[in-house]
Amino acid sequence: MLARLTQSKTMHWLGRQLSNQDNPESWLDPVLAKINPMWVQAYTPARVEQVIQETTDTLTFLIRPARRWTGFRAGQHVNICTEIDGIRRNRTFSLSSSPLLWESQGLVTLTIKRLPGGLVTNWLHDQVEPGQVIGLGEAFGEFLIPEPAQPVLFIAGGSGITPVVSQLETMAAQDYPAPVTLLYFVRTHRDVIAGEKLRALASRHSALTVQVIATNESEEPRFLRGGDLDEIADLKSREVYLCGPKGLMDLAGDLLHQRGVTDDRIHSTFFAPPAPARLEGDELGGEVTFAQSDVQVGSEGDANLLEIAEAAGLKPQYGCRMGICHQCSCRKTSGTVINRLTGQVSGPGEENVQLCISVPRGPVSVDV
Amino acid sequence: MKKLNETQLQELEQDLNAIRDEVLADLGERDARYIRRVIRLHRTLEIGGRVMMPFGFIPPVFVAATASLGVAKILENMEIGHNVMHGQYDWMNDPNLHSQTYEWDTACTAESWRRTHNYEHHTYTNVIGKDRDYGYAVLRLSDEDEWKPWHSLQFINYILLSVLFQWGVGLHELESEKLRRREIRWRDKLPFLKDFARKGGRQAFKDYVFFPLLTLPVAPIVLAGNIGANLIRNLWSSTVIFCGHFTQDAETFSEAECEGENKGHWYLRQLTGSSNFTGGRWLHILSGHLSYQIEHHVFPDLPAHRYPEISEKVQAVCRKHDIPYNTGSFARQYGTVLNRIFRYSLPDRVRTRLEGGSAPQAI
Repeated sequence: MLARLTQSKTMHWLGRQLSNQDNPESWLDPVLAKINPMWVQAYTPARVEQVIQETTDTLTFLIRPARRWTGFRAGQHVNICTEIDGIRRNRTFSLSSSPLLWESQGLVTLTIKRLPGGLVTNWLHDQVEPGQVIGLGEAFGEFLIPEPAQPVLFIAGGSGITPVVSQLETMAAQDYPAPVTLLYFVRTHRDVIAGEKLRALASRHSALTVQVIATNESEEPRFLRGGDLDEIADLKSREVYLCGPKGLMDLAGDLLHQRGVTDDRIHSTFFAPPAPARLEGDELGGEVTFAQSDVQVGSEGDANLLEIAEAAGLKPQYGCRMGICHQCSCRKTSGTVINRLTGQVSGPGEENVQLCISVPRGPVSVDV
Repeated sequence: MKKLNETQLQELEQDLNAIRDEVLADLGERDARYIRRVIRLHRTLEIGGRVMMPFGFIPPVFVAATASLGVAKILENMEIGHNVMHGQYDWMNDPNLHSQTYEWDTACTAESWRRTHNYEHHTYTNVIGKDRDYGYAVLRLSDEDEWKPWHSLQFINYILLSVLFQWGVGLHELESEKLRRREIRWRDKLPFLKDFARKGGRQAFKDYVFFPLLTLPVAPIVLAGNIGANLIRNLWSSTVIFCGHFTQDAETFSEAECEGENKGHWYLRQLTGSSNFTGGRWLHILSGHLSYQIEHHVFPDLPAHRYPEISEKVQAVCRKHDIPYNTGSFARQYGTVLNRIFRYSLPDRVRTRLEGGSAPQAI
């Protein structure tokens, strides 16, 4: 509707003149949201149709995005946006269904694990019910099935399986002609996500081999080992896809390198829950990326982002330098900062921060 | 100015910080709901006004349409735009309510406003020579400003400023008084003038060209109604804003007093340099809660609808430190503003005789 209309340059220009907003299509959103939340224009609204329990701590949300959503390719992620206690939260999740489901029925699934202490995942698990509407961004990501078909090895860990499920389903549907192997690591067999679907796919799609490995069921942890890879036929000719916790990804990378698999064949999508919040002096500081200026600098101690930017020769907008005037507010795209006035620790995602009172804790990226 | 020693200033700072922290910890859905409700009301009034305006050949409809659009502009400027640009709703992380990207429905660009108002006025509040909002460089409101003959006509200036308020605010950053004194050159102001022309042009296009042309057969009616709506907003916002710092008992400060000041001293200056007025709930909303100017100046980035809730606590802090809390009815406060504009238009000799004293009175 409005979002489509304002894609025309003239209409967008006119909309800006009349509404004074850079994205005029969302000018009426507060009213539309009240009448029908599926009419909101700032993002693509998606109605939750069904919530399916995968494991004790993982749910799959079957959602129906508004028809103007542009779809996705298997293996891509999407930003979802929700408002929790008045604050808009953006988080990235993998789409776990095949694009075929979107094309045929207008539905997609998100499979989301509850992270201990995680604000958004816990809210999704505890508060979201069928009928509710969440916001969706456009799909993105380069974790894509090779074209033309080539032999593939997936190594997934825990909820890192979600984009892989989407890919396997897509491959099965097009009867992917090359061999496909999945090594799926889980803590225990109770933690297997989409187990039934994987079994069904393996029996339907003869090129697919699925191996589920429980790491914590024996006395000694059973991690990925060289032998697992040596058993895979023509490993060197495979395109390898990694998705899981950092430990697994690092280990897999090393073992693959040792076996002569080159980096251009290894595709990984980073996946790690945010570190729990703690406030200690020696944890302050970190690598700061000023994305718009293309500047990267290290920082130590309680130097705030404004001081760090200025020390690096940048001149971000600023005013009072004491957290009053918000002249220096800007967008943080990733990383954690501590509010110098309140000691409050920010979330890891995209949000607005006041440079003059934000102290980085670990790597931080801001739009300056 | 009320004097406090370092320990007292520190205590004042802590007392006010405590009020602020309490509100910050409580921010959430209630505040989001409030601002969205005001936005919904604004959208409804604006659309209502625009739709009714072409039928303005029926006199009561003309009045309703003009009032509807005028009130919409007041709500947008005062309770939404001004407050959003202060960063009162940045915590919501809603890109449409972010202080640094919000643009409002008036001739002044958001960027210029954030510089002159959020930074200059709110940092150097009532410091004569540094706070250019004190008299807007066209009015003499304190005896720290030397009397010049042209000041005797400043009441006319005041009325003109009120009628054309959005253009006055838009051109505030031009610093015409410095251009006149040749302290700065026109060339330095070119980037500002370009931005002003773009934004002012946009506003004029919308209200005085686009909507009248859209309804061509009744263009003069629509044009008249839109001018009326802008006039209503100009007069109201100017009146409210003048009540914030120019009332009888609002104090002014010298640059020397504020050199190297700490946060406690800044707080003290905000408390004594601002003035409130009382009234009903709608008066507060339509003033953008600038009726709680004192609370606003102490906590410019707390959501304004919270000011009535914390006012009691701020008053208690004032009582504790024996700091005057300047409030009164809207009519009384505005009366003292008009009185001040008139008194300072007179030469000091005449004014002091009128005030019944022989020496210049400290304000």
